[in-house]
Amino acid sequence: MTEAASWLWLARHEGRLAWRDLRYLMTGGGRWRGRNVIIVFVLLGIGLHLVALGVVAPHADMTLAAGTRGFTSITGSVLLIFFLLLSQALEQVTRLFYGRGDLDLFRSSPAPLRRLFVIRVLSIGVSTTVMALVVALPAINVLVLLGGLHWFTALAVAVAGAAATSGIALVLASVLFDTLGPRRTRFAAQVASAIVGSAFVIGVQAVAILSIGTLSPRAFFDSDLVLSHMPPADSALWIPARAILGSGWDLAITVIGAAAVLVVPMILLSDRLGGYAIATASVHQGGRRAWSARLFHTVSSRQLLQRKEWILLVRDPWLASQTLMQLLYLIPAALLLWRFYGDSRGALIVLAPVLTMAAGQLGGGLSWLAVSGEDAPDLIASAPISPMRNLSAKVEAVLIAVFAIFTPFLIGILTHSWVMALVVSVSIVIAAFSSTLIQIWFRSQARRRYFRRRQTSSRIATFAEAFSSVAWASAAALAANESWYAVAPAVVAMLVLAGTWSIRPR
Amino acid sequence: MNMERTVSTLRVAGLRKSFQRPAVDGLDLRVGQGEFYALLGPNGAGKTTTLRMVAGLMQPDAGEISIFGIDALAEPIAAKRITAWVSDEPMIYDKLSPTEYLAFIAGLWGMDAAAAEKKAEALLEWLELKPHAHERCEDFSKGMRQKVALAGALVHEPKLIILDEPLTGLDARAARLVKDALLARVRQGCTVIMTTHILEVAERMAERIGVISRGRLIAEGTLEELRKQSGSSNTSLEDVFLTLVAEQEPAQ
Repeated sequence: MTEAASWLWLARHEGRLAWRDLRYLMTGGGRWRGRNVIIVFVLLGIGLHLVALGVVAPHADMTLAAGTRGFTSITGSVLLIFFLLLSQALEQVTRLFYGRGDLDLFRSSPAPLRRLFVIRVLSIGVSTTVMALVVALPAINVLVLLGGLHWFTALAVAVAGAAATSGIALVLASVLFDTLGPRRTRFAAQVASAIVGSAFVIGVQAVAILSIGTLSPRAFFDSDLVLSHMPPADSALWIPARAILGSGWDLAITVIGAAAVLVVPMILLSDRLGGYAIATASVHQGGRRAWSARLFHTVSSRQLLQRKEWILLVRDPWLASQTLMQLLYLIPAALLLWRFYGDSRGALIVLAPVLTMAAGQLGGGLSWLAVSGEDAPDLIASAPISPMRNLSAKVEAVLIAVFAIFTPFLIGILTHSWVMALVVSVSIVIAAFSSTLIQIWFRSQARRRYFRRRQTSSRIATFAEAFSSVAWASAAALAANESWYAVAPAVVAMLVLAGTWSIRPR
Repeated sequence: MNMERTVSTLRVAGLRKSFQRPAVDGLDLRVGQGEFYALLGPNGAGKTTTLRMVAGLMQPDAGEISIFGIDALAEPIAAKRITAWVSDEPMIYDKLSPTEYLAFIAGLWGMDAAAAEKKAEALLEWLELKPHAHERCEDFSKGMRQKVALAGALVHEPKLIILDEPLTGLDARAARLVKDALLARVRQGCTVIMTTHILEVAERMAERIGVISRGRLIAEGTLEELRKQSGSSNTSLEDVFLTLVAEQEPAQ
């Protein structure tokens, strides 16, 4: 007899599944067309390198002699990416315990569960590394090309950072499990992941707004205010920055430290991981009570469908958090509003595109839930309501929810300038409505719990939603500035919508 | 015998639907008022497609569907007002309680709220869901979910109930409750058309049975009439069904 599920066998199995997931991600479940994928990759690579050229080229000649100013700038950028990766890793680790998938099959087999989880945590490390490289590689390539080979050490720092995020995510998830239990951990981890991912950038922006009156993290890190609080250049805080700039000793410390951060928790916690997964399998919501039947009494079918959508959303904190977390990025906008309240309207103009963009994205998410994520499509289809009435009720439910969320901002702007409040109100509704239309054209019935996978089901819808939101945001910015040039991006947005409509599935 | 009934609840004529190949191929069907009709057929015979078209969930390529004299294709809303659909996969909202779900359905069908509340209470009592009436459905077993879905189908008092494999995954007790509920409705004059793979259920409950194969009705009648059509007497419905279906299979 051979050993049940050897390390190598499991690694190959996981590798195969990961590869198929990646293929699905790239093709959206469609047929694999190698040539198309290569073309997309090449175009994406060129695009990322061009962006990197604009961002990092001015720093290519930086060396170890850069001192505190240079180290602060590098460390700020590294931390920004690090927290985003940590957020992703935390979510993946949580999914490891809650995704049932093949877990029952493994549990019923003689394969050691501990081994499976070690392999799966390692695979999270690999996928986080890939993500880190996607972000860092174009910048590193540009820096090597313009500044010299010493920048290649940044590659090792990127890999080390990705490994460290997986280890930290494992520890965080374990702490959440032990303190909150399996019933609450999923939601808590979801919120923690969103906060971790956005906290650094939002925190920096918030402090930047309040201290030097700008949204730009770069200007903030370069400011005398920040630099006056930073430690000297030989401080341990700058080890990763010095490693990126080619210091061998600092690179060794970074790599060994990151490996320890990944391996030590894995060894210490691997026995408990199977237990967490078993605990999540027996999670029972405990018969939560619900007493809102009267909300459905004596209302029109339109109100009935709207109330149903809102109740389902409010009662699903995991789903609500998925949708609403993007609103965290509105915090800097709110701060800016507060900071410049009573000042010149110029600074407030920046709010118009921020709010419009957020409304577009939020509208897209909510309309997916209402239109594609209908859990009882046959029930609605078999009810005596016309499909158009049903659809219009859902669209209204989405637009009302979006408008309600943005109302406090609009009131704030209104007290300052009614013209700008009008511009922002209109742009919010148009952006949300555009995203809703795209979701209607590309609807594909799915369970609500697959909300996270909605972006892989239609690449076209995802990109169209993003382009339309960006175009409406640009139009809003120019309109808020009372410029007739606002017509140009508005026309682009309408062309995006027209193009998307013409290629919608029939 | 039931074809003698004066009012035809459901009349289907020349119904066609093709996907890659014909799923329903010129199907004719008549079900009388207050009749329990079972539609049987092998996997992929076109049973579900037929019922989905009757329930207004799918548009046929050709044919006519009439429910209580209402042209269901021309006036779908009017037809749906007196129809209920139950599938093998219960269509309920996890985050609503059974009481809320029934209130929602009553609202969709435009029922009077007070009457709907009383009706819902009675149904939940009858289907032994009363202790869970205010719990969210998210932790319910398959059987409980199916009972909630059935309560949803009954709460608006439809004249025609269309069921697609409603007993799949139910334990014996839950299955008995569902069967009793359906028979009680039939006694009250409601018409039921149901697909099932459990031939014993069809044999015991249905007044008439239709056998469908490759999208066509190949036999129809009471069990006795089907025995005659298959040329076998004193045999079970299972034997009759297998004989009838085998006759339709192409020669190997």
